[in-house]
Amino acid sequence: MANKHITIFHGPQHPGITGNMSIELDLLGETIQKATTHVGYLHRGFEKLVERRTVIQAFTIVCRICVPEPDPNEVNFAMAVEALAGIEVSSRAQYIRVMMLELSRLAAQMLWMAGQSGSIGLYAVGQWAIADRDLILDLFEELTGGRVYHMYVYPGGVRRDLPEGFLARVEKVLVHLKKRLKLYDDIFIYNASFRQRAVGVGVVDADEAVRNGYVGQVLRACGIKADVRKDAPYLVYDELAFDIPVEHTGDVYARALVRRAEMDQSIRILEQVIDKMPEGEIMAKLPAHRKFKLPKDDTWVKVESARGEFAYYMAGDGSEKIRRMQVRGPSLVHAFTLLEDLLVGAELSDVALIMNSLGICPPEIER
Amino acid sequence: MEEGFLREQRQMESDLNSDTSHKSSVDFLMNWFRKRSIFVLAYGTGCGAIEMPPTFTSRYDAERLGIRGAATPRQADVIIVSGYCSYKTLRRIIRTYEQMANPKYVLALGSCTINGGMYWDSYNTIKKLEDYIPVDMYVSGCMPRPESILEGFLALQKEIAEGKASSWQRYEENYAFYRKNQEKVLGKNVAPAYDADWYLYDGGLS
Amino acid sequence: MNTLIRNRFGTDEIEVKRNDLSKVTVTKYRLFELIHLLVEQYGYTTLNAITCTDWIEEGHFAMTYILTIKDRKHTFMVQTMIGREEAQIDSLTTLFKQAEIMERDLHEMYGIDFPGNGNLVELSLENWVHTPPLRREFDTLAFVNELHDFREGRDDNMDVKAEMKRLRALKKAAKEAAAKKEASPAEEKEAQQESDDGK
Repeated sequence: MANKHITIFHGPQHPGITGNMSIELDLLGETIQKATTHVGYLHRGFEKLVERRTVIQAFTIVCRICVPEPDPNEVNFAMAVEALAGIEVSSRAQYIRVMMLELSRLAAQMLWMAGQSGSIGLYAVGQWAIADRDLILDLFEELTGGRVYHMYVYPGGVRRDLPEGFLARVEKVLVHLKKRLKLYDDIFIYNASFRQRAVGVGVVDADEAVRNGYVGQVLRACGIKADVRKDAPYLVYDELAFDIPVEHTGDVYARALVRRAEMDQSIRILEQVIDKMPEGEIMAKLPAHRKFKLPKDDTWVKVESARGEFAYYMAGDGSEKIRRMQVRGPSLVHAFTLLEDLLVGAELSDVALIMNSLGICPPEIER
Repeated sequence: MEEGFLREQRQMESDLNSDTSHKSSVDFLMNWFRKRSIFVLAYGTGCGAIEMPPTFTSRYDAERLGIRGAATPRQADVIIVSGYCSYKTLRRIIRTYEQMANPKYVLALGSCTINGGMYWDSYNTIKKLEDYIPVDMYVSGCMPRPESILEGFLALQKEIAEGKASSWQRYEENYAFYRKNQEKVLGKNVAPAYDADWYLYDGGLS
Repeated sequence: MNTLIRNRFGTDEIEVKRNDLSKVTVTKYRLFELIHLLVEQYGYTTLNAITCTDWIEEGHFAMTYILTIKDRKHTFMVQTMIGREEAQIDSLTTLFKQAEIMERDLHEMYGIDFPGNGNLVELSLENWVHTPPLRREFDTLAFVNELHDFREGRDDNMDVKAEMKRLRALKKAAKEAAAKKEASPAEEKEAQQESDDGK
């Protein structure tokens, strides 16, 4: 009896999909012949909303562009406005921004672990990872007032100074996480069932990856040491010592190993930041909100988020409103050009696995 | 005022005193079963979906209240509309809601469902969720903390015990009102009419 | 490299924004020749983004193509202007595979046509029949007010502007009263001195 041709919709209401998007799959039996990605379920029209707002009004909604990891958005927005308006940021504020970014990276990688293990049925890892991530969210809540959306990094610096004893509490969380990460190695990263599912699945070719504009762990798992923190250093990353982990096989398992090694590097950076935190001002003096005019100029800024290179294009026109803000997250190219390529020939049960390993986050695709 | 799990404990004890005197014992038992086993549809429709994993996993543990996830609409009792709805998502929410079996409840999370929230001037989101599907419980916040979501569930359980959570009946009775609002923003291609015999119209079994 | 581009394409001086970012503006007809040159000869092998800014006052769209060199240390922004009515520019999908999705996004949001891109269907919007949303003539607030009505406020709701005006007037009156009180003992003293002198 021959296999049957069928077309199904994987999502948007689906437990195995990373966010609110869907993939239309043409199947022959259980093998995928063709995949078409559909997005737009989370389109809020950010780029149009920002055009009606001044800088401080736009700052409040910018963090909501990417839901699992909002801090790269805030830092990008602040860096773009500072580049246009020519504002200097003090050293202490830059160190605090680096701390926020690295803590956010750790939280996002733990969320990735929960998603990736859930996609193959190891639900215990998800329970642990979300609970450990909550300790980092507690730190965020103490510093900024919000667990997920912080609205803390403002053009010119950061909004509030560190509370007393905060760095000691960060250090306590890092010590706890270092102990726990060894357990995650045993239960998830070096787990035989994960290895069996993940090795050889979703292989990306290195030359094509560079040409097609893939970023982040997709490149690092193919052997290319690509990281914005080393290629085009921003904030104070050129004063901190850290490595870029790479693997060479380019499959789902390689990306998982790269992410696990990056968590160790993030903890290393955080320990250096805690040691080196300088004293000083945290916020530059800015003009009043309706008088904060951006010159007629444009710029391109980028940071390294947990999933890859996150970039903003911003153009001002001499008034106090922002003329154009284009958000270029890592998931746009990954969800369309890469995913539709990788899924051809894959099995239906591997769709969730591949989507989680690419780190596709729909809100930043359609903003 | 107590915080944290003590507050939840007080709330759970307080609903033992909910006013169920007018119910027959069968009704009382049915409501008790329904409120103690709420299955939540696995659908993260917006921003608020990022606080759902913490609520359902070991730190805030909604499973001790009988709440767990369900994969398909046929098996779910509650659909959580976690935040804003773009028009594209609204169409899928309506279709999913209509596929769920009675009794079903809607929990609206966040300020975007109340009056548009942060995206009040966006051309692609809806401003008042209760114009399109009936809502049982609102949980305000942007986004609500896991403790707030649990309080919302406890309040929903109290309403179920008292027999007041009847949004599915409201949907059937006022279907023309909801359908008019849905067609206003989505055009004519909404799901087939709720009360239609779909296998006779709309090209059903062909 | 800068002099070669300036002489060959007749552009202005290449603007160096940072040590890793440069920008050049070129006419629409020489755009592809310039991009080919950057890709093949200078190694800018990655296309990061295609963006568009709507300058409605000047009557054109400013399209910006952002390319990164192979070792990721330098980024080049190539900008060109195209007209706003019947906007079109050739597609880059033969050179870069990711240009397909970026052009699809711009087509939906601005209404720009990209001949050569076979997949210009809707991406984020569904059954959208009004003007492309990111064009400046599309007024999003008017659109929202026409389609939706908001919830009414509470009964004790106050108009923010009127309330702020009232509070500011109160503050001003209080300040004037305090200043007058300070001035009036000094005035009384002066008046007494005059009368003393007068006496």
